[in-house]
Amino acid sequence: MLSFTVRKLLTVVGTMLGIAVLTFVITNVAPGDPARLVAGPNATEDMVETIRSEYGLDQPMVTQFAIYMKDLVSGDLGTSIVSTRPVLDDLLRYAPATIELVLVAMTLGVIVGVPLGMLSAVYKDGPVDHFTRILSISGVAIPAFWLGILLQLYFSVDLGWLPVSGRLPLVTRPPEMITGSLLIDSLLAGNLKTFNTALSHMILPAVVLSFPCLASILRVNRAEMIEVLQSDFIVAARAHGISSRRIVVIYALKNALLPTLAMIGLRFGWMLGSTVLVETVFDWPGIGLYAVSSALASDFKPVIGVTLLIGFFFIIANTLVDLAYAWIDPRLRRA
Amino acid sequence: MSAPLLDIKDYTLDIATFDGPVHVLKGINLSVNRGDTLGIVGESGSGKTVLVRSVMGIGPSNSAVEGGQITFDGQDITRLDPKGWARIRGIRISMIFQDPMTYLNPLFSIGQQISDVMAAHERAAGEGGSTKGARRARTVDLLDQVGLPNPASLYDQYPHQLSGGMRQRVLIAMALSGKPDLLIADEPTTALDVTVQAQVLDLIKSLVDKLNLTVIMISHDIGAIATIADRCAVMYKGEIVEQGRTADVLREPQHEYTRQLLSAVPDIEAKPARTAVAAACRERQPDAPATLLEAINLKKLFKTQSGGEFSAVSDVNLSVATGEIFGVVGESGSGKSTLARMLLRLIEPTSGNVVFAGQNITGLTGEPLRQIRRHMQFVFQNPHSALNGRHTIGDAVGEPLRIQTRMSRREVEAKVEALLDIVQLPKLFKYRYPHELSGGQKQRVCIARAIALNPRLLILDEPTSALDISVQAQILEFLQQVRAEFNLTYVFISHDLAVIRQICDRTIVMKRGEIVEHGNTEQIFTSPRQEYTKALIESGRKTSRAATLQAS
Repeated sequence: MLSFTVRKLLTVVGTMLGIAVLTFVITNVAPGDPARLVAGPNATEDMVETIRSEYGLDQPMVTQFAIYMKDLVSGDLGTSIVSTRPVLDDLLRYAPATIELVLVAMTLGVIVGVPLGMLSAVYKDGPVDHFTRILSISGVAIPAFWLGILLQLYFSVDLGWLPVSGRLPLVTRPPEMITGSLLIDSLLAGNLKTFNTALSHMILPAVVLSFPCLASILRVNRAEMIEVLQSDFIVAARAHGISSRRIVVIYALKNALLPTLAMIGLRFGWMLGSTVLVETVFDWPGIGLYAVSSALASDFKPVIGVTLLIGFFFIIANTLVDLAYAWIDPRLRRA
Repeated sequence: MSAPLLDIKDYTLDIATFDGPVHVLKGINLSVNRGDTLGIVGESGSGKTVLVRSVMGIGPSNSAVEGGQITFDGQDITRLDPKGWARIRGIRISMIFQDPMTYLNPLFSIGQQISDVMAAHERAAGEGGSTKGARRARTVDLLDQVGLPNPASLYDQYPHQLSGGMRQRVLIAMALSGKPDLLIADEPTTALDVTVQAQVLDLIKSLVDKLNLTVIMISHDIGAIATIADRCAVMYKGEIVEQGRTADVLREPQHEYTRQLLSAVPDIEAKPARTAVAAACRERQPDAPATLLEAINLKKLFKTQSGGEFSAVSDVNLSVATGEIFGVVGESGSGKSTLARMLLRLIEPTSGNVVFAGQNITGLTGEPLRQIRRHMQFVFQNPHSALNGRHTIGDAVGEPLRIQTRMSRREVEAKVEALLDIVQLPKLFKYRYPHELSGGQKQRVCIARAIALNPRLLILDEPTSALDISVQAQILEFLQQVRAEFNLTYVFISHDLAVIRQICDRTIVMKRGEIVEHGNTEQIFTSPRQEYTKALIESGRKTSRAATLQAS
């Protein structure tokens, strides 16, 4: 198990390197002259040339790549043209909001999706199954931004139960930053009022973000449970006198969880990508919003930074899934 | 005489299907006294598994009891509620299953699975749960009792780390954990190797004697039934057609079906009585046969998961003469299937050469390889998975014709009909789908597909082991006819020694990737030279019909 973990972590380094190379290639292949874009429409040739040499854009591709990699390794992601701050600082400022949102949405998807999938497998073709079928189809079919707007109109505008957008109202002083998560930090500071406010801002975007993910987790878990419940070792467990509840919740669920885990890993990456939409709708100050505004301003460095960050979290999530796989399935624990 | 432990009276069970209810069990009458050993013989679809699962209340979910009742130790268990079952299932009646590979949960350790069963029993009996340590000690005890080495370290191992025979012992230990009054064994040896079969049967027999168990054992293997059971019942299409003392039933079968079944069992002791066609075929072949297929120093290494190398086949040399049936015998893991696939170039040998009709085919790629493929065909073990469920039989049989020839659609149709005719299936079967056919019919379709291109060599990988005995007899007979008709050469792979003796001219015995003995089939059977061959034949005898008749 230990060497398995070490090997997995080594592949993380390799994949990260791949992403870095790919990001570099894509930004260089993309049409448009970055120097001219930076200089603006009214710049003279001289100004463009100055910027070109300042950014190292007049160097050969290989040299540019070497500089890019060297900067990356030393943690220098360049400077944003719009905010004129180092990209790394910007990312550190926006990423916690996104990660908190994604983690809450993912937790929601798992704790609702897995039991619902299990229930609809056990009571196949019953009322619960029909309900989850509707839920899972609509989850995959409804676009996130549309659902977001719909929920805002109903819960915030009509009912007035929940705030429309943002992470905290301007009047609320955010808790001292420890983990970056407002929910945890406010609890650590013992400020229940701030916690409640943060939670009420979290609910709508988290639900919207988790809905498609919940739907696919539910779907996969249901299908797997149905298959596992028909397998020989379940018949044997019944014959040996083990109670139905234990068979379903322990024996079958553990087997069904393996493909579900793979789905969770994939959905994690998808969620990080979707935050761009959800954060725009809910005005959530995370990296999605940051990426959109940077891209619209043709500000390349932040876009590269966000891409690398999302790639990094995606790899970490999937590595954790791989490790969980090995933890659950003894057959994968190679010596 | 006290009341029987298990009494089944006029039991009739229906299963709901799309076409309405089907009687799977019809008026079953059976009683088992304490200390009895009862065997139930029957082929697939005879209802024997449904019957014993009904006794445990784990019958198919869409079934309904139409009449009769099952009484266990004076209690009517025909329509018991889950609470009632909790006190019986696994505790008073327990079960051993057919395939030890799939009846253990792969994600839980052996020890945990057994102690879970114990905990469930304690809970059902209302006893205070014993400590984890106590359960562990009892589990280790049980594992020891079923003859497993190092039971203490086995506790923390997982099913995939154990061999088939060991897993079956684990399942037996699990079944014994509740100290059952009645033990049901559902084909406990079918999925095991010959030598392991004999060991597991010995174990069950010794446990029956030692623990004074009452046993019902189901099997299609009459030899296994004869080893264990004093009494036996023969099931056919949901009915018990005959029952009585095992020795009597085997010696003087009363029912026509029993007689057919017994005569279809290949007998390891019998000298092969070559059929007329086979003899004629031999005559047509001149005495000095040309070599059709040759393997020279064939070797295959596989990488193991831990990065080491595992030699599946090492330095195998063989030559198959034109027109002969060349047998390959060995237990699972002996490398026989790997060898077969290398002979056909379905997998690449690590080193060595395969020479087919004078041409070295190891280096061939692309078109020349494709050309040579039409002369060599493969018949797989399991006809149920060898046919694509979404293609009609006509598509399946016509496929090689469409790939390898330029026949028009109409010509292919005509050829398919002719082929179905050869394998003795109605022409209209070409419109059917595989699930509408029985196992034997599917295997005929596979053979038709294999001979569609008039190949010269047919490699048959356990072509009858997934089939019922009576069907096996038909297919074997039929294979010999086809060979005579098309002048074919067979490489016939099997673990069943009786079958090999019946049809093969020359045979090699394989063990762990090496040939341990080769030569004339009769010679190998009458005077085996190697210890391994002797042991193999000895275990084969143990489950043989003739041996059991002598014993009883």
